[in-house]
Amino acid sequence: MTAYLARRFVGALLVMWAVATLVFFMLRFVPGDPIAAMLADAGSEEAAAALRAKLGLDQPLIVQYFYWFANVLQGDFGNSIYGNNQPVATIIAEALPRTLSLALISFVIAIAIAVPAGVISATRRNTMTDNAVSFVAFLGLSMPDFWLAILLIIVFAANLQWLPAIGYVPLEEGFWPWLEHLLLPAIATGTAFAAIIARMIRSSLLEVMNRDFIRTARAKGLPAQKVIWRHALPNAMIPVITVVGIAFALLISGAVVVENVFAIKGLGRVLIDGILNRDYPVVQGAVLIVSAFFVFSNLAVDLLYGVIDPRIRYS
Amino acid sequence: MTDIISSAPETAEAPRRSRLRASLAKDRKAQVGLVVLAVFFLGMLLAPVLAPYDPNEMTLDMMQGLSWSHPLGTDDLGRDLLSRILYGTQISLFVGVVTVAAALIIGVVLGVIAGYYGGWIDLVIMRYIDLQWAFPNFIIAVYLVAVFGTGLVNVIVAISLAFIDDFARVARSMTLSLREEQFVLAARSMGVSDGRIIMRHILPSAMAPIIVQATVSVSYAILGEATLSFLGLGVEATTPTWGLILAEGRGFISQAWWLGVFPGLAIMLVVLSINFVGDWLRDVLDVRETV
Amino acid sequence: MTMTDDRLKAAMQSAWHDAHDFDPRDPLFGLSRHELSGPRLSRRATLRLLAAGGALTAAHLMPGGLGRAIAAGKKGGTLTAGWAGVSEIVTLDPAQMGQVLQFQITSNVLSGLTHINGDLIAEADIAEGWEVSADGLTYTFKLREGLTFHNGDTFDAEDVLFTYNRSKDPEKSIHSGNLANVASVEKLNDFEVKFTLKAPQASFLTKTTERASGRALTIVSRGALESMGTAQYGLTPVGTGPFRITEHQLGQGVVLERFDGFYDPERPHLDKVVIKPIDGAEPLAAAVEAGDIQFVGGNPVAAQLIDRFKSNPDLVVDIKPGPGFQSLWLNPHREPMKVESFEKPVDELKKEKGFMVRLAIAKALNRDLYVQQARFGYAFPAYGTINPAMGYYYDEGIAETSEQAYDAEGAKQLLADAGYPGGDGFPELELIVRPSERRDGLVIANILKQELGITVNVATQEFSVMIENFLAMEFDMRLGGSGGDYDPDDGIVDWMMSGSKFNGRTRDKEKYPFGYFADSEADALIEKQSITPKPEDRRALVQEANKITSDKVASGFLYHPVDVLIHSKDVIYPAVSRIPGLTDLDRVSFA
Repeated sequence: MTAYLARRFVGALLVMWAVATLVFFMLRFVPGDPIAAMLADAGSEEAAAALRAKLGLDQPLIVQYFYWFANVLQGDFGNSIYGNNQPVATIIAEALPRTLSLALISFVIAIAIAVPAGVISATRRNTMTDNAVSFVAFLGLSMPDFWLAILLIIVFAANLQWLPAIGYVPLEEGFWPWLEHLLLPAIATGTAFAAIIARMIRSSLLEVMNRDFIRTARAKGLPAQKVIWRHALPNAMIPVITVVGIAFALLISGAVVVENVFAIKGLGRVLIDGILNRDYPVVQGAVLIVSAFFVFSNLAVDLLYGVIDPRIRYS
Repeated sequence: MTDIISSAPETAEAPRRSRLRASLAKDRKAQVGLVVLAVFFLGMLLAPVLAPYDPNEMTLDMMQGLSWSHPLGTDDLGRDLLSRILYGTQISLFVGVVTVAAALIIGVVLGVIAGYYGGWIDLVIMRYIDLQWAFPNFIIAVYLVAVFGTGLVNVIVAISLAFIDDFARVARSMTLSLREEQFVLAARSMGVSDGRIIMRHILPSAMAPIIVQATVSVSYAILGEATLSFLGLGVEATTPTWGLILAEGRGFISQAWWLGVFPGLAIMLVVLSINFVGDWLRDVLDVRETV
Repeated sequence: MTMTDDRLKAAMQSAWHDAHDFDPRDPLFGLSRHELSGPRLSRRATLRLLAAGGALTAAHLMPGGLGRAIAAGKKGGTLTAGWAGVSEIVTLDPAQMGQVLQFQITSNVLSGLTHINGDLIAEADIAEGWEVSADGLTYTFKLREGLTFHNGDTFDAEDVLFTYNRSKDPEKSIHSGNLANVASVEKLNDFEVKFTLKAPQASFLTKTTERASGRALTIVSRGALESMGTAQYGLTPVGTGPFRITEHQLGQGVVLERFDGFYDPERPHLDKVVIKPIDGAEPLAAAVEAGDIQFVGGNPVAAQLIDRFKSNPDLVVDIKPGPGFQSLWLNPHREPMKVESFEKPVDELKKEKGFMVRLAIAKALNRDLYVQQARFGYAFPAYGTINPAMGYYYDEGIAETSEQAYDAEGAKQLLADAGYPGGDGFPELELIVRPSERRDGLVIANILKQELGITVNVATQEFSVMIENFLAMEFDMRLGGSGGDYDPDDGIVDWMMSGSKFNGRTRDKEKYPFGYFADSEADALIEKQSITPKPEDRRALVQEANKITSDKVASGFLYHPVDVLIHSKDVIYPAVSRIPGLTDLDRVSFA
């Protein structure tokens, strides 16, 4: 198992390397010139050439690639091409807390909705309540998140004026300012995940309830509530946790559109803006971080596969 | 996105049909879903007949509310919203179906080959799938469109590519577990060719979870197209798409709520119906939702 | 107001007479050289220029200078401002920035030798005054003494030299090209610097030394650059302006606080300004209407919001002509708009098929309909690069005299004469636009379809892609233009000369001998106006050059934007600070 783990770990690193390499070359072979964009208003070609030389963009591609790779190995992600060449590490370090905060609140909201909803619909299977919960869950899954985001802004920020429309306030400036800026975007991103998790909990719980030990517990006359919360739910949560692992990673990048609507400069926005502006070092850095989240959460999920389904063997 | 693994291999064709029909009679959500999808499908085919106006005709009657002449109002360029949504059905549904069909074919081929043959083929294919799996589908699509440019073909290619790994994973894990089943082992020992085993034994048994995955994916593809359009990375055809209508209406929603509500509703209704149908298929095909 | 109404009326009347008491051929006749030198043009000279340009308003006639602050607000308070249409302010280093929304901020933080006023005329800023040599080649600036930067360093002539040397280095500054005409800069003593130009330059004070739009000579702090490095300096630049930047989080916002060492101890009135970037019309509207922000700066506000804000009783919405133009660029190297050479009289050009098509398109641009549909009525039709905010230089009559004047029948006839009656056989063309201009592109395509029966497909490209294609002349049509054009040079020198910086700069010169336009007659006029210091003479040259570029369809000119100031009722934004495109907050206060 240790050898397997080590191999998977190395494999994960290799995947990250391959993604980064692919992204490096793909972005440079397509149209779009960051220097032209930057110097559009100012420039002479002399200034453009000077800037290219300074940023190393005049070097052959393969040389640029090796420079970049050697620097990454030393923990240096390079600097943004635009503006004042902010270090990519700084840009990501600023964006990451925003995205993690948003993901965390979305996650809390999703769980807070999903667990009771899933339990209720599983215990009252095929009743009106179950149908209603399942309908609402479907609704949550089917609503485009950016649409929900805009509707939330119109209702809660513009009309009722309960919550701020846009922006992000760091946690250091107080818990409530931080939270109130995150509530609407977190609802927008969390709704779909709440729906997925609720459905997961329902089906998982139904299956567990049919297992022998639950039947035994019930037969022994334990109160139904206690059986569900103490015995069935913890067991039902195991497969759910694997979904949750992926969902959390998805939240981190999937918030792109919602970050866009709420003007929060998170990791997703950094990545998309970087791609659109052809800010190569920023894209490469952000890609590495996002892929790290995914590769390692998938690794964790894959390991749980084996625990759940013994038919799949690791060799 | 969730993967689906089935536990029960299914082979008999006739009983499955009758079971489908019987369970459909009981499943009201699926009935509603199928009816709504049928309505949208008809709307798509009959758009030129049903639409009261040319969907691209601009007038100075900008952002007019709901009226008899414009049942769903007009947009920010004075175009009739009902006509635009009707025509929008064409591209939205087309993108949803075509992308998933392409992803399904490529993904299933890759997944079955990887699962059946194992060894280095599996290793290569799995590394590719891992590579793609290292990114959320949506980010892949955004990346491809942002890099290669907007347009119908690019959007279709981007969304299809993004879904390949989902199908490959499902097909591979199905094949992996089926490979060890008695009936496959028996066929093998009798010297049945690999191609025949795959076509006759593995694919039919693996089809149920793939169909369920496909319905889920169609709904994600429609949402994906809408989201790409919303980010300004969508289809740039003369025919409007729902996502594009929403994106264009984005800056006007509080002055003209209908611009934000109706195209969003159309997306939601179609996606909801597909999910209802998918859920019914999942039940009737006995596909278990796990990871 | 301290004066009684009668006395005020009399004073304004006499100012009105004085302003209009000139020879229409030379409004500045009879004024002394002193009245034309710095720290500002004399009031008489300014009023005459305004009157001649037809831009004189009652506010200008108020005694005590041009629109002095009338209502006095209280001191202190925090203003929260939203910066529209931007998700983050990437840099505030004058050497690296090129957008109006950036220099709107730095104009509150950094200083220049000069600063334009509301009529786009240069006034003294960190220079107390200046002297121009008779040949117009040397400018000697007298600097203010006893000033310090926000970080405590003292300000003197060395800082001007440092800024100059940094800006002319293309590795350090993107504005090095703007200093091409400066031969040398000398320090005469600690508080006097002399600029020697290679050729006289009429726009020197408004384009090169100006603190906001100039950027090449916006004074930076040596000490701060050394201690914090360029990356950090780009976030929190240090200068000698009325506010200092205390915080800047990329994508979240900038915090400005009152600087006590500003040269005018009366200013600024506010204690603090918080600037938040807000992308998207709906979030901006929501933030304004929720009262989260009391002031709007940044990119022009989405046109559909203007009426909505105007109807909001809590808001002040003030609209003026904006300094810029937007245009439909037609590639003369692509069929069917191909023109081998613009070097002939318009009447000759009109006999060529390619030119007929260009002119047909330009004539078919129903600008009134465009403004109505695409800009919700908020824009001015354009027929050239010189914008109405430039007042004095703007040609009021060009809407009638230009060959491009809207003429549906004439346009159809031209297209038919070129061999495409009713648009038959006309190939489909591609119009490249930035994502934010897509809507405008659709309206243009629609107008050309309606008027000429031709099909134009709108293709959205990110700026980094679009600008590459535009500069290399690889496009059919492009929608785009300029903002922050305070001096005629910003229009005609930057866009209309055969060597202009946007004019096919990176094109394959074998394939395309010129960019989108090249005419030696226009070049000569433009060059001449840029070295003509006398406003009246310059105006004639500017307008003549502008007319040629319009008649020869250097571009299908579309519209000049409006400049919209939006703030809440309890914010006092005095008329003197109302500089088109800028948001100077040093005189702003709360009621």
